[in-house]
Amino acid sequence: MEGRCAVETWAQFGFSGGSYKVKILCGFGTDVLICTGTEEIYVFSKRERKITTVLLLPAAVNDLVGNQDKQLIYVACRSGVYRVNLQFLLHRDQSSQADASSSPAELKISQECLVVGADEVSSLLLVGSVLLTLCQRDASWLLTLYKTPKQTASTSHKEFGSFNLPVVSAVDCGAAESNRGPRKGSVLICIHSGDVEASSPSNASAESTVAQDHFHLEPLLFKLLFGVEAALAKSPVILCGLPDGRLCFLPLRLPGSCLRVLHSLEQPVCFVGASVVTETGHAQCLVAAGEQGRVALIKTDKAGPEGGSAVAAFTEGCVPGPVWCGCMDKSCFYYSTGADLLRLDLLEGSFARESKERGEETSGMTAAALQSPSSLNVCRVIALAEPACSTAAGDVQLLGVSARGQLQRICLPAGRVDEGSSKLPSTQVSRSVRDLLSAIGDVCERASVLKTVIKSKNQFLRLLNHAVSVSFLLMADTTTDLPIKEKPIRCHFETSWSRLLQKDSLSLVCFLHNSSPFVLERGWMLSITVSPLSYSSSPAGESSSTNFSFPFHDLRPGQTFEASLPIAAAGDASFPMTVSCSLIFSLSSLLGEEEVAASFAGLQSSCISLPLSTLTVDWLHALQLNSPTATHKMATVQPSSAAADSIQTFLSSRQLRCSGRTNRGGESAAKPEPEKYSASVWVSSEIVRDTLKPKKSSNLDAKESIRDPEDLCLSLLERLLSEDTEGVKMGCQGDKIALSTSVAHARGPNGAAMKLSVKEINVGEEESTDKEATIEVQIESSSLAAVCGLHHAVLRRIQTLLQSATEKAASTKNVQILGLRRALQRAEIQQSQISGAFGEVVSTVQRDRLLLSVYQELRRNPLLIV
Amino acid sequence: MYQPPSLLEKWSQENNELVNKCKQQEAGGGAVSQDHRQSSLRWCSSEFHKLLRKIQGIPPHVDHSQLELAVVYNTCVCFTAQSQFSEAELLLKEATERVLQVTGNNADTSDPLVLWRAGLKSAGNTALHPHVLYLLCLQWALWLAKCQLENIGELQEQMSSLCEIVCDGVGDGSPSEAKGRLSKSPLLVMEPKRLTELLQICTSIAQGAEKLNEGRSSEALSDLQAASALPATRALVAYTHLLSGSCLAHMNRPQMALQCYKKALETDSRCVCALYRSMLIYRQLGNTQAEIQALRLLHSTLMLPPATEPVLGGIQPLSPSLLLSSQSLSRLLSVPSALSVLYSLALKCVLSGRVTEGVEHYLDLLAALHSEDQHAVDAEVSVLPRMPELYLEAGTALLFTRRPADCMAFCNEVISTTLELVPEKVVLEEPEEGIGGDARGLSVEGEDKVAMLLWAAAAYLVQGHCHAHLKDWKQAVTHYTRCINLLVKVHLKNRDFQPQIPAADVNVKHGKDLCTLQRMKGLSLAWRGISFTQMDQLREALRDLQLSLQAFPDYTGAGLWCGEVLWRLGRKHEAAACWEKTWSLTTQTSVEKLPLYLQDPQSGPLLDSVELRLRIQELGLT
Repeated sequence: MEGRCAVETWAQFGFSGGSYKVKILCGFGTDVLICTGTEEIYVFSKRERKITTVLLLPAAVNDLVGNQDKQLIYVACRSGVYRVNLQFLLHRDQSSQADASSSPAELKISQECLVVGADEVSSLLLVGSVLLTLCQRDASWLLTLYKTPKQTASTSHKEFGSFNLPVVSAVDCGAAESNRGPRKGSVLICIHSGDVEASSPSNASAESTVAQDHFHLEPLLFKLLFGVEAALAKSPVILCGLPDGRLCFLPLRLPGSCLRVLHSLEQPVCFVGASVVTETGHAQCLVAAGEQGRVALIKTDKAGPEGGSAVAAFTEGCVPGPVWCGCMDKSCFYYSTGADLLRLDLLEGSFARESKERGEETSGMTAAALQSPSSLNVCRVIALAEPACSTAAGDVQLLGVSARGQLQRICLPAGRVDEGSSKLPSTQVSRSVRDLLSAIGDVCERASVLKTVIKSKNQFLRLLNHAVSVSFLLMADTTTDLPIKEKPIRCHFETSWSRLLQKDSLSLVCFLHNSSPFVLERGWMLSITVSPLSYSSSPAGESSSTNFSFPFHDLRPGQTFEASLPIAAAGDASFPMTVSCSLIFSLSSLLGEEEVAASFAGLQSSCISLPLSTLTVDWLHALQLNSPTATHKMATVQPSSAAADSIQTFLSSRQLRCSGRTNRGGESAAKPEPEKYSASVWVSSEIVRDTLKPKKSSNLDAKESIRDPEDLCLSLLERLLSEDTEGVKMGCQGDKIALSTSVAHARGPNGAAMKLSVKEINVGEEESTDKEATIEVQIESSSLAAVCGLHHAVLRRIQTLLQSATEKAASTKNVQILGLRRALQRAEIQQSQISGAFGEVVSTVQRDRLLLSVYQELRRNPLLIV
Repeated sequence: MYQPPSLLEKWSQENNELVNKCKQQEAGGGAVSQDHRQSSLRWCSSEFHKLLRKIQGIPPHVDHSQLELAVVYNTCVCFTAQSQFSEAELLLKEATERVLQVTGNNADTSDPLVLWRAGLKSAGNTALHPHVLYLLCLQWALWLAKCQLENIGELQEQMSSLCEIVCDGVGDGSPSEAKGRLSKSPLLVMEPKRLTELLQICTSIAQGAEKLNEGRSSEALSDLQAASALPATRALVAYTHLLSGSCLAHMNRPQMALQCYKKALETDSRCVCALYRSMLIYRQLGNTQAEIQALRLLHSTLMLPPATEPVLGGIQPLSPSLLLSSQSLSRLLSVPSALSVLYSLALKCVLSGRVTEGVEHYLDLLAALHSEDQHAVDAEVSVLPRMPELYLEAGTALLFTRRPADCMAFCNEVISTTLELVPEKVVLEEPEEGIGGDARGLSVEGEDKVAMLLWAAAAYLVQGHCHAHLKDWKQAVTHYTRCINLLVKVHLKNRDFQPQIPAADVNVKHGKDLCTLQRMKGLSLAWRGISFTQMDQLREALRDLQLSLQAFPDYTGAGLWCGEVLWRLGRKHEAAACWEKTWSLTTQTSVEKLPLYLQDPQSGPLLDSVELRLRIQELGLT
């Protein structure tokens, strides 16, 4: 760390993206021209410290060269080369400047300024009165020479020669279109032999055109590289670096010369220059830098391998980082990697070699010098230039354009020599402190940006890790088949009726319990799909499923997430319905849309879905029990009382039969009797007892309560109504206590009143004596759909009851379960027929016939479950 | 049924508009740049092509075939003018096939000759016939441009009948009813008559060049002389004269050839080639004065600014240069660049004794090479010697004109450029048959080193001559010594290599290098000896002169001076023998083949052979 450099921002200009070839052109008095690859060229006045003029060209600018003498610039655009007379423009500009205030004047360059009509010229060079253009045509690079007119007024530029060089297939490393850094272009510079302007006065004009792209090379090296003839002809040599890595040269004034390859960097050439200037003003080292950091130093090796004569020594090495741009001063090569501005001291290498004796070490030393460029701590510089006039001796100033579109003056610390001088005037101290602070600010800004990027990446990685762990956990569940209670992430549901705006609606509350060690964070979502179980029900609507999703914010381990979703308002739902829930992890919600789009284009819509459970909400879940209190309040609707139950039941069932026969024509006629249809399920009370026992084993008085048949019926009913099967539970807890009789009155989800009664009867007497007591579960309702639905639900419950029963007599039970399953299927078919009948708008007669047939089928199959 | 006629009208109107636009651009295009002309041509051809696609979109039909063929003609002219020959040829082929379809014939051949014959036959005497002929003209032009002269020969009779019909029938004096028909017919970009005329003379020229190339000069001559009477532009007529001249020169009739060249120049004053050819003939005849005159004229003509591009074929889309692209012709028409002409002029002047003039030309040449206007434009292999050689020659010429100071400046320039690069040791290998191309590739750099060394040595040699001229013998010895020191750095690879100059293969590069080396050794040693003689260091002088004779036995100066030194040393009989031996050497290597700077300096002390003979006689008497 030799010192710090001061960065002073001079101007800020509109700048879109950093993927263009940016070029700074100095040397027009106090004006600096900057082209940014867009249609605009900015003219910055150092005296006024602001952008005075903006030149607007017809197309995007590729390159820019100038002739200080005549105050002319040539601009290579997509559509051709334009010539702009700066003096004229700026003069006009100044006259108008008087009234116009601070905003820069905008000057449109018209088509009249077009001097060469070649498109896509990638580089320009002006050598004396010759304008050279380099462009790629089909399969060859074309270097074309134009004669510029002596009088600035005339616009005719005569082409008088061109040179071809076939394109070789692109270098591989460069083919992977670098999306960072400036766009690849070609480099065109002019090399003069050092002794030329001294010896021939005719080349006086060459002196004035010497600019950034003209170098004077030491005569010996010049001869070694380009031949004696070029030196004798006093010919300048054009050196061009191509995107395929080749470095070609052309002696401009030698008759019969052609474009020849000098060297190949094997990566796009982005800078060529000469440095290590001696007192005589001749550069001793030719430097070419490739885009990926390969640098070739070309010097004279006084001690050639054969001994005696000198040879040109090519030293190749790699400097760290991509080279975005570069510039030269008398002894150093400065380049920007985007992240930093680096200085490569070329003098150091040559000193080292002089002190060493000849041998292999010399090239090693130079290569070592290449390895250690010193950092100058200026970041994001995309174009560099050394202004023609440096202020104080030993003080190097560079002009840079940053990726943010700022024109910066970069003052480098003075060389190693005057490091010892510690006494500085106070103004200088304050200035250097200011510089230091600004440098710190710059670095700090960069650091904080990097920090946030790292942080967000870490966060993202952690989330992804969690996601993978959670999915692994859930996948393991499905394979091991744990009971639902022991799953690490499980959910159960509760149904509840609520009344809102005079309308009852059933809602399903989902509880998701997270007992896994992971937090379910941003990106996770609970998705619940509700679809009717019987798809055949009606083709018109309702068959489609409904999807709900709830994003989690932060569900910590041990917490429960609660979500309630409306299933149906009273009257318009088709039960039973399947509810399946799953956890979804989506990358896009985690990263944000644009980031996903940017980095994982393929993942945009993808997400991971992990199924949690699938369950069925049936009629029993959806029942709206009429609690005693409720019945009291609306006694008019249900005049039943506990005492009268058995009689009532009997009567009504008789009635039902009668009415079923008499009132075939339609339900509407049978208004006075609300319960018209009934269905029943008979279960052996022994089994019921057996199955209910283990459930209630926690109770001390389980045995007794179950002995009592009355109790048995009650507990079965209780079980039917409130048992949480497969995680679905009926929500009305309060009614449970009130359930004192074995008869329950309720309203179904479609609003139909219904009665569910459980009692013990003896069936055995009629058929075989050894049959024991049977429990009959009877369903009665005026609505056929309700009866069927409830019947189906009761059967399902009993099926699960039986499944959970202790394995006593496996064989017989299997038979029973088979029978039960058949009955269940039948019930489902019936139900679908019923809903089909209601769904289709057919004649009432037809519908009734259909309903009746279902009913009869129901009646025909009393079920005894043993 | 209104549709077809209206479409036809629309199309022909479109065609006519395009043709008019084209002609306007051509007419106004005299001043605009080549670029502009090219782009307007491109535009025209694409527009014509678009129109043609529209027309060809419907099946061929007699009603609009005429228009279609006219548009094909226009499109092809534009394509050919842009050198898009294959596109034009394809269009022509399609057009003939469509003509065959219209007339109900079917030719399933891809051979263009057969196709054309069938097309012409089927068009027969219908209204389509002239249009088919126009297309044939274009095919002719294409073949000519692609140098497929044999195809043109195959269809010779059709071509000649075509010429008759096109030139007589369409050009002038056509019956009024034909004119009436013509006024209705669609416009054409280029008049077929003019195209045919152009084609005729161009074909004659191309065929003449081809025959000349094959050695059938007399046959070519009669054809060309017939062609010179054809109506054409001056430039083309001049070409026929020029080629006739070449035929005559080939037939060893230089005076008649000169007459032809003169006629060519009279016809077209810009026919530089004729001037060049005349110069070659003067050179062949040994008429140096005339040759120098011709060279001077040639140079000044070449230096004229090509102000107005000679418009060869008038303002026409098809230029004669497009049709005359055969290699044998361009070889015949090629003229060296102004610089190499200037070089020949300078060298010729110096060699023929007009040294002062020659020096001026040398200086002009160097100034031209150093001027900013000089650029490496001519891709043709330069006949100029390499830069250091040019410097040395100029220097020697200056010495001839007794300007030793200027000469030394030139030599200094060469030395300062090359000396740094001269290696300590260089190996000159004997050229062997066995070593192939790769060995040569390896030795490119080494070869360059040898050249470098030889240049530096030659520069010292010439500087030595300068000092000898100034009678500064000490300095002369110093410079000759430097030259010798450089020359001994060259090691010959083949040890038992004969130091004799292999006269047969002097042209081989290494042989040439070797020859130069030996001659330079001989010269420098001899002249150091002479210098020593002047300083009365006779023993050193004798050693050097004898060494010189070893290195280069043919050098008479060394032999004579060797005798002189022997004489002065009192070894008179040896001296006489040495002189006799030297006079007996008659194999004087031709001075002209040697570079100027390796020739014997014309200044310095001289020995008079007559006086020497007198001495021998005296010796014999005593």
